[in-house]
Parts: sequence; structure tokens; C-alpha cells
Amino acid sequence: MSAETDVRPARPFLSPAKVRLWFDRLLVFVLSVGAWYVVANTILDPFWISSPELVAERLWRITLNGDLWWHSSATVWQALLGLALGLVVGFGFGLLLARYPRLAEALDPYIMGLYSLPRIALAPLFILWFGIGLLSKVMMAFSFVVFIFLLNTMQGLKEVDRDHIDLMRSMRASPAFIARRVQLPAMLPWLFAAARISVGLALIGSVLGELLGANRGLGWYVEHASGRLDTTGVFAGLTALMIIAVLMNQAVNLLERWLTPAK
Amino acid sequence: MERATSAPQTPGESPAACAPPRVKVVGVSKTFPTPDGGVARVIENVDLTLAEGEFLSIVGPSGCGKSTMLRLISGLTPVSEGRIVVAGREVTEPPPGVGFMFQRDTLLPWATVSENISIALELNGTPPAARPARIAELLKLLGLERYADYRPSAISGGMRQRAALGRLLAYGPELYLMDEPFGALDAMTKMILGRELLRIWSQDAKSVVFVTHDIEEAVGLSDRVIVMEGPPGRIKSEYRIDLPRPRDFRAVRLLPEFRDLCERIWGDIGRHSEAE
Ligand SMILES: Nc1ncnc2c1ncn2[C@@H]1O[C@H](COP(=O)(O)OP(=O)(O)OP(=O)(O)O)[C@@H](O)[C@H]1O
Ligand SMILES: [Mg+2]
Repeated sequence: MSAETDVRPARPFLSPAKVRLWFDRLLVFVLSVGAWYVVANTILDPFWISSPELVAERLWRITLNGDLWWHSSATVWQALLGLALGLVVGFGFGLLLARYPRLAEALDPYIMGLYSLPRIALAPLFILWFGIGLLSKVMMAFSFVVFIFLLNTMQGLKEVDRDHIDLMRSMRASPAFIARRVQLPAMLPWLFAAARISVGLALIGSVLGELLGANRGLGWYVEHASGRLDTTGVFAGLTALMIIAVLMNQAVNLLERWLTPAK
Repeated sequence: MERATSAPQTPGESPAACAPPRVKVVGVSKTFPTPDGGVARVIENVDLTLAEGEFLSIVGPSGCGKSTMLRLISGLTPVSEGRIVVAGREVTEPPPGVGFMFQRDTLLPWATVSENISIALELNGTPPAARPARIAELLKLLGLERYADYRPSAISGGMRQRAALGRLLAYGPELYLMDEPFGALDAMTKMILGRELLRIWSQDAKSVVFVTHDIEEAVGLSDRVIVMEGPPGRIKSEYRIDLPRPRDFRAVRLLPEFRDLCERIWGDIGRHSEAE
């Protein structure tokens, strides 16, 4: 290496490792869908487990007629609102509790208790309080994710290197400067970890809210299909949910890569 | 910062006579609560004066409280008893114009080498337009030009220490508190940076408290060497280093007085030292 050249290796868009990874993932997909196909066409009637080609056909149809967009946009929107609210409240409350350890200690068992409440048992209350419109679904998603953000914020703040803060203090940095330049960057991985877990949970919350009373959304679609013993509809709804969860997770990963420089 | 610019201190003379001391430590003790509910006395009744422009080293066995002394002077840790005055003001919080280089490298892991240095420039009020030139200058001085855009995890331990030194120099303090700054360096880099430190120090007549395990390094750099013992940390003895200035950090080691001083300090630290 010479002094002029950048010694960091350029990252190729498609490295051999990446190609292999995608090949492996494709292989898993082909094997599992193949197994499903074989079972659905031999041992079990598609009435029970539908079949890949029926589901694919259904997905194609509801994509064309706009149903897929109509339902999934509702589910995703509720999940996103729940996520945003959970992030703001969980992060804010986490900062507050980190600031007042005595309060945090006092509240700890209650937070843990609330955290472990089965949300499905809360659903009737949510409908009572928030109606059967958008709000009850958003709050359902919120109730899943707020604790994740709260706990990760507190833990992340606790793990910030004390010496980094002291070093800044020795140069008379203000608390706001330290928060912005040391604590926040140090906590970002914790917040992204929370976001990754929360994406799935927010979708679960959103769908759960729809199962209990809605006229729209993937949860409603699945519920409606199962009421008519339409297994293919159920599987199509679930498949759409899985794809959305993967895409949202990928979006978080991209955001993380964009916001946190590689270590 | 409020200090009038003065000529570099001449060696040997007591600079305390003409200027108020940069640091005054009076009857300071420090206790920490122990895990079993008691108290540990870590510093015991220390008195210490650092003259304006003086280069003072502290040596002593591991655990005798050297790092703690620096933290007390820096205002990061409050004293339990006694008081510390820096630049005429009693220390209750980190005072202005004090740069601290920790024993552990404390570069921010998500920031590049130059970003780490830049933070110190930001904190000492260097205008943004002037920062890149200053950073480039420091990187050159420390032989880190090629690593400006590297993150700390991608450079060696010695390079990290140099980067931390760069941050300290960028901050441009009046009082340098340096906790084993050359601990992770090879003999050659140590020599280069020691020389550089002497050069910077003699140009600006800054005050330095330098903690080290390396007695030759202490003698080679300092006006005065303090030997600590402990715990609890106390000042055991003090040596005035009347070697000529300006000093060559390497050539000075050939002087018989140098060898003599090192021998005496060695003898003083005695058996219970882990210093190499
Ligand atoms: N925050 C703290 N809480 C409790 N005890 C502490 C704390 N900081 C330092 N001590 C104790 O003070 C003593 C002196 O520690 P210090 O780090 O000052 O030693 P040192 O002379 O710098 O040692 P070394 O040469 O190994 O760096 C040690 O016994 C240590 O356990
Ligand atoms: Mg130490």
C-alpha cells in the first residue's frame, strides 16, 4: 500500500459470499414451498393447507384488483403509527427513568408486570376505550412496542462508556453536547435493535386489533377468509404479512446502515 | 487562558517565584466506598504545588493512586478532604484550560481519527473553517496522515494513543494531565513523541502533570519527579531534575547525572514496584 492510495478494500456489490447467501435463501424457499406443494398434492387435501399455486394465484388476483393494497396499507399504516408512538413514548420515558434512578427502581416491577400482560386479554378494553377505528389498532401496536423501546433506551444509556462522558466533561462540554455527540451515537445500536424487534411486534399488534373488529386490513382479510373456510385466503393473507414484515425489517436495516457508520 | 504569555521557563530555577502556581493541592484525601460497605482511603493527605510552566512527573507502583490524583486535579472526581486550586480558582467542576489524556484510550469508536480530533477543536472554540488545517497539521505531527478516516477499531493500539494525544494537543490546554500517554508505544515512537512533547512544552511553557511507570521517561522529561506510594496514596519523595534544558530526550540519557537520578529513584521505589 502506498501513502496515496486508500487501503480500505472496496466493497463489491455482489461478493461471492453474498451470492452464496442468496443462493442458500433461495434454496430454503424452493425446498419449503416444494414440500408444501408435494404434501398439498398428495397426502393432504388443499382444503386444509391450501397449496402454493392456489396461494400464488390468489395473491396475483388481489394484487390486480387492488384488495391487497387496500388491506395491507391499512395494516402497515397502523403498525407504523404504533411504532412511531412507541418510539417517542418509550424513548422519552426511558430517558426520564434513566435520569431518575429512584423512580426507575420504584416502577421496575410494575413495568415488568405490564410488559408481560397478554395483549389479547386487553383487546376488549382497547375497543371499549379507543373504539373500533384506527386508534384501537394503533394503540394495540403501541402496547407491544413501547416496552421494547423503553427497556432498550434505559439499557443503552446505562452502557454508554463512562470514560467517554468524563473525557468530554474534562473539556467542559455541556450536557446537551454530550447527549448529542456521545450518548445518542452510543445508544443508536440499542435503538435499532429495539426497532428491529418492534417491526414484527407492531405488525402483530396491528393485525390483532383487526381480528377483533375491523372492516379492513390483512387481519380482517385473514379472519374473513377463515370464517368462510377459505384456507387459500388465510394463507394468502399470512404470506402477504410475512413479506411485509421482511420488507419493513429490511427498511430498518437500511436506515441503520445509513445512520451508523461501519465500525 | 487568562495567563499572560511568558517566555519558556528556564530550567532549574523555581518558576513559582514569579507566577502564581498553576495547581495547588492542599491536604487532599480521597475515599471511595468499598463493595462491602466500608470506605477505602485511596489518597491520604497529599500536598502538591505545580508551578506555572513546570513539567512534573508522578511515578509509583500500580494502584498507588496516580490516576486518581489526576482525576481529582481535573475536577472529574470531587475530593473528600482538602482542596485543589487550579489557576487561582478552587476546583469544583472541570476547570477551563485543562486537557486530560486518560490511561485508557477513549476515542469515540464511531468517529474517525480526524473526527475525534475535531471534537476537541469544537470544544475549544476553533472556528469550523480553521479546523481542517489544524487537524492535518496534528495528524502529520503524529504520523497519522494516512489514517485520518479510519475508525479507532481499525488502527493499532499505539496509533490510538497517538490519536488521543492529537486530540489533547488539539484542545490546546494550559495544563496537561497525562496518564501514561506513552504506555502502549514502542521504544522508537515513544522517543519521537517524547521529543515532540518536550518541543511543544518548551515552546508554549505549558504546565504538565505526567503519570508514568517509566522512570527514565519521567527523568528525561521533567523538572521534578514525585514518587508516590500506597495505597493509600501518599507522596513518598520528590526529586528536582536539574538536567540542562533544552533537553534532547535521547541524548540526555547519556549524562551521568541522568543515570544517577534514575538509580536513586529506583532505589526509592524499591522492591514493591511493578514498573519496568
Ligand atoms: N471509582 C473508584 N471506586 C473505588 N475505588 C477506586 C476508584 N478509582 C480508583 N479506586 C482505587 O484507588 C486505588 C488507586 O487507583 P488508581 O487508578 O489511582 O491507581 P494508579 O496508581 O493509577 O495505578 P496504575 O498504575 O495501575 O494505573 C486503587 O486501589 C483503586 O481500586
Ligand atoms: Mg493509573
